[in-house]
Amino acid sequence: MNFYITYFIIAIGLFSFSALFALFGVYAERKVSAFIQDRLGPTETGKYGTLQTFADILKMLQKELITPAAADKMLFILAPAIIFIAVYLGFAALPWAPGLVPAKLNLGLYYIFAIISIETLGILMAGWGSNNKYSILGAMRSAAQIISYEIPAGFALISVVMIAQTLNLQDIAAQQGILSPEKIKFSGFWDVSSTGGIFAWNIFRAPHLLIAFVIYFIASLAESNRAPFDIPEAESELVAGFHTEYTGLRFALVFLAEYSMMFLVSMVGVILFLGAWNTPLPNIGMVQLATWTTGTTWGILWIIVKTLALVGVQMWIRWTLPRFRVDQLMALCWKVLTPLAFACMLISGVWRLWLM
Amino acid sequence: MSLVQTLFYMMSFIALASAAFVAATKNLVRSIFMFFITLFALAGLYVLALADFVAITQIVIYVGGILVLILFAFMLSGKETLDAIAQQRNKFISIKKIPAFLLAGLFLIVLLNMIFKVDADNLTWIKRAVTVKNEILPNSSMTENIGINLMTKYLLPFEAISILLMIALIGSAHLSRKGERQ
Repeated sequence: MNFYITYFIIAIGLFSFSALFALFGVYAERKVSAFIQDRLGPTETGKYGTLQTFADILKMLQKELITPAAADKMLFILAPAIIFIAVYLGFAALPWAPGLVPAKLNLGLYYIFAIISIETLGILMAGWGSNNKYSILGAMRSAAQIISYEIPAGFALISVVMIAQTLNLQDIAAQQGILSPEKIKFSGFWDVSSTGGIFAWNIFRAPHLLIAFVIYFIASLAESNRAPFDIPEAESELVAGFHTEYTGLRFALVFLAEYSMMFLVSMVGVILFLGAWNTPLPNIGMVQLATWTTGTTWGILWIIVKTLALVGVQMWIRWTLPRFRVDQLMALCWKVLTPLAFACMLISGVWRLWLM
Repeated sequence: MSLVQTLFYMMSFIALASAAFVAATKNLVRSIFMFFITLFALAGLYVLALADFVAITQIVIYVGGILVLILFAFMLSGKETLDAIAQQRNKFISIKKIPAFLLAGLFLIVLLNMIFKVDADNLTWIKRAVTVKNEILPNSSMTENIGINLMTKYLLPFEAISILLMIALIGSAHLSRKGERQ
């Protein structure tokens, strides 16, 4: 029965990790936005405002949970839980270090892709349950956006899977460094199996995967409803979109889901394209940097650093670019990203057959 | 009872109960969300049957695609229409429902016939497959198996389905085009 206890510990650990990350993420978001807009951001609570998000969450815990009189109560109450659980379940299949993964699934990537799509249902539930025209408009925009952007994201992922020949995230991770069981070539000609480092990452294994990474990154911004794709909660038009009617703890849960989603999509991007838990430092002759910096602790460190860097880019983009109009959003998805992702998938097939 | 059996009965109960709710409730939107639970319980049953690829595909296609599209249709149709449907008075047995009853009854007879006739514990084709080692074990990888079979044994049906989907795609693109000005 001992391993059941381990399961519970892992589940609770992942939950507390996502909660901690949300706390940190909100603070970072406010500081980053302040820096970009030449403000100071939170300064009052704690040193440099570090306790601001704790104060916020304390305030939210004390607030009354208001349910609108005309709302569909069941759906309204369940929606935030479903939105969060959908994202939280995705964490189960993500590898953290060599040999360290909560659930060793041989369909890991496909599983994450499936679980993320459940979030749409939660958002539609929230929009419909609130019985508010802003909520329902926000929910519909969000659903339209997420199911459209799943297509380029999916094809970008498939182009990696065709190169890696597996859906197991741990195997994909292992292929991108010195621990690789097979030969890796830097853009198809230079054997880097023992050099490792940044040259063995998937984005450099085949040049078109760099384009696939950009496509995936753009689509992941849209899937986590972040600016410039935040028309579902466009403050200037829709008040707050699908979570207009939520208060207190339920609102906190929606936010927790958004920040966990940011971390999840960034981590999937890191695992598939940016070398997962592998070190960016290569072996150069006698200086075995890659061998020295590969291991369980190093793996966790590298993957967290890379993921946080991607999350940072997400925040940077949010506070730099203006919001898309609905027609521009759809035109970008269907006329630019989808054909490009298809092209990437085709090149992947040719690459695998003739160059590997 | 082993853990697997407990899980099986639990998920079958959830699937059946939620399916009954879907069929019985008057609130159409709630029934759609309940259908989501039915599909999830079915996915769980697939996992128990070692068909994890089918389970995940079920979630991607039905939950991520079809349910969301059905909900879209509901949200575009407005509350008044839905309320009108919910207020319709329905008798359990009426002339309009005869075809449905007939179909359901016949299907039930076929299913019961199957259950009573088939001796599930010693089917000949399963025994033959076990003797020639043509079987899938809990730790064998499903994806490669499916891929190889789709490209060899089932290539013709696979291609036929892809052509069908292509036709549907072109047809929907044509229907959604703006009409030319007369």
